[in-house]
Amino acid sequence: MNNRTFVYGLWCLGVAGLFIMSTVYAWSPFAQGSRARTHGGFYGPTHK
Amino acid sequence: MQPDTAIEPQPAPAARALTCPSCGGSVALRAAGYTVHVACQYCSSILDVTDPQVKLVTAYNQHLAELEIPLGTRGVLRGVEWEAIGYLQRSEDGDYGWEEYLLFNPYHGYRWLVKVRGGWSMGEALTVTPDWLSYDQLVVNGENYTHFFADGEARVDYVLGEFYWRVAVGERVKTADWVRSGVMLSREENASEVSWTRNAWLAPAEMRKAFAIRPEAIWPPLPHQPSPWGAWLRTGAKIGALAFAFLLVFALFFGGTSWTAAGSFPVAADGREQSVTLGPIVLPHRYQSVHLRADVPQLENGWVDLDYSLVERKTQQVYEAYGAAERYSGTDFDGPWSEGSRKAEVSIASVPVGTYDLVVEYKANRWSGASGYAETAGWMDPAAAPVVQVEVRRGAVYGSNLLIALLLLAAPLGLALIWHLAFETARKSESDFAPSGEDDDE
Repeated sequence: MNNRTFVYGLWCLGVAGLFIMSTVYAWSPFAQGSRARTHGGFYGPTHK
Repeated sequence: MQPDTAIEPQPAPAARALTCPSCGGSVALRAAGYTVHVACQYCSSILDVTDPQVKLVTAYNQHLAELEIPLGTRGVLRGVEWEAIGYLQRSEDGDYGWEEYLLFNPYHGYRWLVKVRGGWSMGEALTVTPDWLSYDQLVVNGENYTHFFADGEARVDYVLGEFYWRVAVGERVKTADWVRSGVMLSREENASEVSWTRNAWLAPAEMRKAFAIRPEAIWPPLPHQPSPWGAWLRTGAKIGALAFAFLLVFALFFGGTSWTAAGSFPVAADGREQSVTLGPIVLPHRYQSVHLRADVPQLENGWVDLDYSLVERKTQQVYEAYGAAERYSGTDFDGPWSEGSRKAEVSIASVPVGTYDLVVEYKANRWSGASGYAETAGWMDPAAAPVVQVEVRRGAVYGSNLLIALLLLAAPLGLALIWHLAFETARKSESDFAPSGEDDDE
């Protein structure tokens, strides 16, 4: 195995690792919504 | 009784020394018995050593070339130990010069070590004549070669060491070359013979190991120089495909649930802001994405703003997203047109485990072409009973993440492909048969 193959193998492992992490945390850079950072008050109780 | 006399094997050629009749220097013969001509290592005079009385063929008193591989140096190339015994400088009438070392091994014969623009090849004389495959293709020993250099003329400019033929400065041969990746097939022709040589590319690491030659930058590439990216591209593509297949299988296992109805609520005719709470929505995993899809079946020439808030019942932590369903249509001089969609989908990432309420704040709007707001109720007419239907599903894998992963996996391969194509373009542009305009030298 030459250096290029080894480095590319590591690269693929890194990409696969990031993909798995993004799946574990159900994260995407393109998700429209996320945790509200500026919400000040309480909604509750909101359930019927 | 006389003992039987054993037949002794022919002794391997031994080195012997002779005296140069021109300068008196001691000249070592490394392939004695095979060598025909030797160039004196001190004055470069060419001597004929086939006669016990060494004859001076051509007297020179020229400056000796400094050789990268001093004659007498031994090195192991492809499993065989070779000794450099002769050296030639050749050119096409003074242009495009190159160097050739004659290598010798008593059990394997002769080979050529050819240096062109810093690249090295090992040449072996062919004992068969190649066959024509097409007008520009030759085949020999199952290998196809493409014509690269048309008829040229090589001239010997400088000689040092010993040779198995009567070499002379100024000696000329007609040349032509064919290539395949890693190999050049060279044809040389003079008045009495045609010879073919198979020149195999030697990687810089091989030359460094065999003769401690430092690698040099070569650009443009030599005709038979293999692309440094070509072979790796095939290996890399297999690794990349394997990695992507793994991600696809992984994604299938974490694909998420199908859409389920979360609720349906009416649209007010006066267009005021409304709010509704749907739920509970139970999210069982440590983290998941929540996808929300609104459908407004009656929507026409209007839009609905949708503010979603997922509120965890215990912690009151809020996860927010904004969406809008909008749909417009009309008729102009091109005929009927429509744009937008009655459905709008948003997703909320990284929502932790818990029981949530979905608070939807929404506001319906109507539009009537260039005049802006319509006077009539339009699609929000209570008679049509317009509603907003919301569906929900949870998941983990985003298609966009899979696409990003694919791009990241493919990026190094794409770069390698670009470099490979640039290399091949530059290599082929050196050919006499390159399409017009590619060869910068012309």
